[in-house]
Amino acid sequence: MERENRFWRVALLALPLFVFLALVIWPLLSSFYYSFTNWNGFNSDYDYVGFENFKRIWTDRLFFNAIVNTSIWMAAAILLPTILGLSLALLLDAKVRGSKIFKTIFYLPICLSAIVVGQIWVWIYQPDWGLLNTVIEQITGSRFNYAWLARPDSALYAVIVAWSWQQTGLSMVIYLAGLTSVPSDLLEVCDIEGATPWQKIRQVIIPLLTPSTVVVVALSVINSLKGFDILFIMTGGGPFNSSDTLAMHMYNESFRKYFMGYGSAISVVLFLIALTIIGLYFRQLKKVDDIYG
Amino acid sequence: MADLSSGAIPRRFNPWPVTIFTVLFILAVLFLTPTIGVLLSSVKTTRAIALGDLWSWPDRLYLGNYAEVFSNPAVHRYFLNTLIVTLPATLASTALGVLAGYTFAKLPFRGSNLLFLVVIAGMFFPPQVILVPLFRLFNSMGLIDTLWPIFLVHTALGIPICTLLMRNFFATVPNALREAAILEGANEWQVLTRVVLPLSLPALAVLATLQFTWIWNDFLWPLIFTQSDEKRTIMVGIVNLRGQYTVAWGVQGALSLIASLPTLLIFLYFQRFFIKGMTMGAVKG
Repeated sequence: MERENRFWRVALLALPLFVFLALVIWPLLSSFYYSFTNWNGFNSDYDYVGFENFKRIWTDRLFFNAIVNTSIWMAAAILLPTILGLSLALLLDAKVRGSKIFKTIFYLPICLSAIVVGQIWVWIYQPDWGLLNTVIEQITGSRFNYAWLARPDSALYAVIVAWSWQQTGLSMVIYLAGLTSVPSDLLEVCDIEGATPWQKIRQVIIPLLTPSTVVVVALSVINSLKGFDILFIMTGGGPFNSSDTLAMHMYNESFRKYFMGYGSAISVVLFLIALTIIGLYFRQLKKVDDIYG
Repeated sequence: MADLSSGAIPRRFNPWPVTIFTVLFILAVLFLTPTIGVLLSSVKTTRAIALGDLWSWPDRLYLGNYAEVFSNPAVHRYFLNTLIVTLPATLASTALGVLAGYTFAKLPFRGSNLLFLVVIAGMFFPPQVILVPLFRLFNSMGLIDTLWPIFLVHTALGIPICTLLMRNFFATVPNALREAAILEGANEWQVLTRVVLPLSLPALAVLATLQFTWIWNDFLWPLIFTQSDEKRTIMVGIVNLRGQYTVAWGVQGALSLIASLPTLLIFLYFQRFFIKGMTMGAVKG
């Protein structure tokens, strides 16, 4: 019996593990290797340059700019969709008329690609006939043609709004699923004890939703670290690198300037940042698991 | 006594449902507006849009933009390329996830939890980290500017999420079912394909939808691995066509809508499995 099991484990796991090792783990490890070289992407030979690339990171002004932008981007891309998604889920849980249609409307943007979402929002921010400026003109009654995406002050934040619009639906669905496990008799007790709706949400529902929050935040971290497509299409990292994130910077150095060795060094840093966040996160997760089982 | 009094006092008006409905309605309009903008652009002439007429209700439907998109042979090619990549990669990643997920759920071994965690961790890393080595690998195999690397990478990168969801689903299938089948003389492969998989259709539907949407909408990998227009997929193609239709906003709008149609239709069709599936995979993760 045990021998058969051993045979089946190997037989079933061989292919998935092989593909995973060959195309994910191995490239991950060789990224570390290339970060110590000056490979340019074309020549088959390259030199080993030691820590040269990592020293260069320290003097790369654009790298620190990218770190700052990535921090802003991630903080907003985690907070906004989480808070919005939770609010929507709480409203929808009241089961008013048409909540099914509302649900579909809020979820729909998730099916669109970052490229399409970017395109849509480029039009909203369009200075001459974009919706945002049109509305502002209607309200103030005077001409307004601020170029949201072409100004360093607003470009990154404009993209964050577009991103949140797309991601909110995902956190909403997860919170809705979590809300179904909140016991209704507990809420009835709250009503009998005379709790206000706000107290009920703050002190009973949100703590009970912790497992959902864990999932929502994890997904937001994953997705925001990968946030590249939408920046690529909306601003390309510009203007004046004001929306340049680490992922954008890495792409520019590797595939526009063909400094693949240096690009690998940036990606190693990106990897270490991801690893740290995930590590911290899993530690928190363990605590949550200990409490909620 | 209580009955009498409650009959006498008229029911108090509860303002909450109306307030909540109104708030939701306003939010829904706000949420729909961007999408409606694209819809409107696709049925208007470029001249009308440039004159600032995008956000008004159209007097008449202008279908020239759609005609332009449908008659462009490049668009046909982009669509075909995307299908050629997306369908096999969706199937392959789901199948590999089923194999690994089944083993982790039903045939655990010493260290299998650790191995499972390593596989799941693959989900968290930014794809940029493996970009350069994969580019070099496929370049040395002569596969750059073919559809192969895109298929292979999506299959591999799909393994973590597929394994996670399938393992969690298989864990809910009672062990007694497997044991009964084995006592009847079935082997592990038969248990998987004849007993467990038929029970897993909702989970498979969720997974296939997720993977299809993600691969169809992807931009980074086709951007890196293809160079000629012949091999571009739809999302990279849209960006390329922008050069051709620089100010033809209406055509761009029609193109975006058509490119989003497959994923929208699949989502609407599988919607009922979807929300259930998110619960299953995510909350008890």
